[in-house]
Amino acid sequence: MNIFKPFSYIIFFIINILFYIFYDFDKVHFDKDGIFGFYPLFGFISCIVLIIIAKFLGYILKKDERYYDE
Amino acid sequence: MMSSLFIHPALPIFLGSFLILYFKKNSNFISIVALLISLITLLFFIQNQSLVYSYYDFNLHYFSYNKLAFLFCLVFLVIGIIGKIFSIYRDSYKEKALILIYISSAISVIFSGDFITLYIFWEIMAISSSFVIFSSPSDRAYLSGFRYLLIHLFGGLILLIGIIGLSMNTNNLEIRLLELDTWYNWLILIGLLLNAGAPPFSSWVADAYPEGSYSSTVFLSAYTTKTSVFVLIMTFAGSQILIYVGLYMIMYGIIYALLENDIRRILSYSIVNQVGFMIVGIGIGTELSINGTAAHAFAHIIYKALLLMSAGSVIYMIQKRKCTDVGGLYRVMPLTAICGIVGALSISAFPLTSGFISKSMILDGSFQEGLEFVWLMLLIGSAGVFLHAGIKFPWFVFFHKDKKIITTDPPIFMKSSMVVSSLICILIGIMPSLLYNLLPYEVSFIPYTENHIISQLHLLLFSGLAFFISLKYLERTLTITLDFDWVYRNKNRLVSCFLNIFINRTEKIKTLIQSINIKEKTILLENFLLKQISISAMVTMILIIFAIFLVLNIS
Repeated sequence: MNIFKPFSYIIFFIINILFYIFYDFDKVHFDKDGIFGFYPLFGFISCIVLIIIAKFLGYILKKDERYYDE
Repeated sequence: MMSSLFIHPALPIFLGSFLILYFKKNSNFISIVALLISLITLLFFIQNQSLVYSYYDFNLHYFSYNKLAFLFCLVFLVIGIIGKIFSIYRDSYKEKALILIYISSAISVIFSGDFITLYIFWEIMAISSSFVIFSSPSDRAYLSGFRYLLIHLFGGLILLIGIIGLSMNTNNLEIRLLELDTWYNWLILIGLLLNAGAPPFSSWVADAYPEGSYSSTVFLSAYTTKTSVFVLIMTFAGSQILIYVGLYMIMYGIIYALLENDIRRILSYSIVNQVGFMIVGIGIGTELSINGTAAHAFAHIIYKALLLMSAGSVIYMIQKRKCTDVGGLYRVMPLTAICGIVGALSISAFPLTSGFISKSMILDGSFQEGLEFVWLMLLIGSAGVFLHAGIKFPWFVFFHKDKKIITTDPPIFMKSSMVVSSLICILIGIMPSLLYNLLPYEVSFIPYTENHIISQLHLLLFSGLAFFISLKYLERTLTITLDFDWVYRNKNRLVSCFLNIFINRTEKIKTLIQSINIKEKTILLENFLLKQISISAMVTMILIIFAIFLVLNIS
């Protein structure tokens, strides 16, 4: 299954380039999508932040599966 | 003339459930035929009418038609039929009969025109759905189902107190838009939100649904939360507080799903997440966002059922329910994998799928109202949906490490119901006008603009990239995540001590309790309550609520 990992990065980049990252949005939401690469960066950063929050909460809230059974 | 021919769409299903008890062998046939009769009744015999049952000066609006109710009833019946075909191999006539009662009560809630009728069917729905959970073969289903039942009875009680307050103060129980300016309207809102999986009780969704059997989870996921969404649209559209409740649910669903190991629990958390989108839409309350909420509920019911059917197929074939136990199943279960991926793409709103044309209406609704913060949070939510349900579910189940599991795709009826729901997802995605024509308001929204497609693809593909980069931090562990249910599930003695004192102090209650035999195993209710901490917590809460009600009523 190791081929999946590097392969998937490359596919994601190629698809994104295909969908031209320089696309100029004509209908602008709150002046935000006028910023270059708003959607890709926003999607990427928000996901990383979500994963970090989940990881952090995981340290506090994760318990063994039999926590309630004892 | 038409009224003499009137058949309530819930009636054939309700009768079907009793027929199943007599003809146990034909339970599949009866349930599918009953649902089909209901569907035909809904499509061809129902007109725009309102029917009232009068008893002295007491009126029950048991059937009040509107376009939104038609839409919800349609999707309830469609997913009922698909789910029934999926569960043909489930060998339990009791479960099948109970599911029919559950569906018919959900439909009755949808068509009820006043709060009393709504409340009656609301409680039938709560009880029948918990019995659906009890009928599961899993050992943990009993306790889980009990917690589910108690949460819902608790919510129903709050709703009832609100309804009593509304009745005493306004003398008008018709279902209508309510303002959040009085305590009884707040209680109605809380009671309704509890069924939608709102904070702090969101945990019941992930606690109870995955304990159902492989087939009953498909039904459970569709009805309870979406009836609540429907009633909220009818009563509290445009209440600002719902926006923030919805945003919390979106984030809650994502974060808890990221930490979860059980396949169906991941999907249950994503129910909370998706219902969050709908609640935000209700909170915005414009025509566009209400349309978006209705469309999203329709699309959500179908793709969520599809996802749970593919998870159910995995559980049916290999009896494993944890991400850590499965992996690499795309080789042996190709069709299940494809259908699961279609569902995952739909939930994450990829172009050409049903999620794309529905969720974007809610986002556009927030943009048109100028709610910048809400719009940004919904964008984060959309990216997060792809993260936890769009990639995480198919990746850990069908790809990831190949565990060399030997199995095949499920039998023909299970396959065909998955394929049909995948096709519906794609069909709605390709031809949005099919769904848009059914929506309550006129739709001028065009989903397929160059702008929208590209922004959505950028957002989703880069969240996918984020997933693969941080893959090693997302490895599954054999853990559960604590939630608000810790308060009534943990073994600390606080609640039981409180109840103990309470029971000891009141001699009358004690003698009363001692005279009731609730179960053969537990002779005394007192012992039973002390053993079942969840129940004792609920009893205390119910008592507190009654106390609050008395205080509010006196003042």
